[in-house]
Amino acid sequence: MSKELKNITDNIMDQIHEEKIKIRPKIYFITGSILTFIGLVSSVVISVFLVGLIRFSLRTHGPMGSYRLDQIFSSFPWWTPVLATVGLVVGIWLLRKYDFSFKVNFKVIIIGFILAVIVGGWIIDSVGLNDVLTRQGPMQGMMREYMHDNYIQSNGQGWGRNRGD
Amino acid sequence: MSETIKYTDEEIVEKVRSNDRDIYAVIIERYKNALLRYTTSLVHDEDMASHIVQDSLIKAYTNLNGFNTKKKFSSWIYRIAHNEAMNMLKKYQREVSIPDDIDFESDEDITKDFEKKETSLHVTECLRSIPVIYSAPLSLYYLEAMSYEEISDILRIPMGTVATRMSRAKKLMKHICQKN
Repeated sequence: MSKELKNITDNIMDQIHEEKIKIRPKIYFITGSILTFIGLVSSVVISVFLVGLIRFSLRTHGPMGSYRLDQIFSSFPWWTPVLATVGLVVGIWLLRKYDFSFKVNFKVIIIGFILAVIVGGWIIDSVGLNDVLTRQGPMQGMMREYMHDNYIQSNGQGWGRNRGD
Repeated sequence: MSETIKYTDEEIVEKVRSNDRDIYAVIIERYKNALLRYTTSLVHDEDMASHIVQDSLIKAYTNLNGFNTKKKFSSWIYRIAHNEAMNMLKKYQREVSIPDDIDFESDEDITKDFEKKETSLHVTECLRSIPVIYSAPLSLYYLEAMSYEEISDILRIPMGTVATRMSRAKKLMKHICQKN
C-alpha cells in the first residue's frame, strides 16, 4: 500500500477542518436540477415547434422542390435550431454534472429526444395546432412574423398562400 | 468513533450534512482500500490510483448534498472513482487491444472451470491484460463482490450489457491467462 493512501484520511480531514474543501450548498443542486429541467423542456418545445414549421413550410411553398428548399433556407428562423441544440447539450452536461448516480444511457436519451420531437412536430402540424399557435401562446409573434414575411395567411381552416402571390 | 460502526453509509452522510464533519473520516476508512483496489485494477499504477481515490473522496465530500440517501452510497462513490479513473486513463491511454483470434460466440462452458482454478491474485494480474470495459465489471464482481445491479449502477450500463461484458471478459481472461 502506498504511503499516500495511509495518510489519505488525515489529508482529507485536514483539508475539511481548514475549510479548504466545503460541502456545496443544497441550493447549488436545486438550481442545477431546475436549469436542467427548464433547458430540456424548452429544447423539446422549441424543437417540436420547429418540426411543425418545417412541415408547414414544405406544404405551403408549392410543388417545386428546389423552390421550397430555397424558401426554407431564406426565411427559416435559424436561431431556433441553434437554441434547441444548445439547450440539449447544456441539459445533458447538467445531468452529468449534478447527478453522479443517475443511471442513464445518453445515446438512448438523444435518439428518444429526436424521435419525440419529430413525432410531436408531425402531430402538432397534423391536428392543426399550428393555427392555435398563430393566435395565442408564446410562439404567436414568431409565427405571425414568419407568415408575414412569406405572404401566408390563415383562413381559419388551416394555413394557405395569399392568392395574389 | 466505535459508535459509528453501527451506522450505515447513508446515515453517516446525513450526519455529515448536519454539520458533523468529523464523521466523514469513517466513510474514508471504509472505502479507501476497496477503492484503491478497484482503481488500481483500472489504471495499473498504485500511486496514480491513490491520487484518484483521494480526489474521489474529496469530490464526494463536496457534492454530498447532491447524493440521494435513498440510493446506495457505495454505488455512488464507486461511480465517482470510476469516472476519475476513466479521465486519468484518457490522459494516458493505457488500454491494450483485444486479440483478433478470440471467439466470443463459443458455447464452451468455461465459467465453472475458471472460477475454481483462478485465485484472486492471479485474477488481478490477468485483469491488467484486458481492456478496461471488460476488466471493470469483472473487478467489481469478483474483487469487490458487487451484484450485477450495483455494477449496472456504477458503470451506467444496462444489466444485460453487464452480463455480456462479464461473459466476454471471462473468455478473454481464459485466453490471455492461459498463455501466461
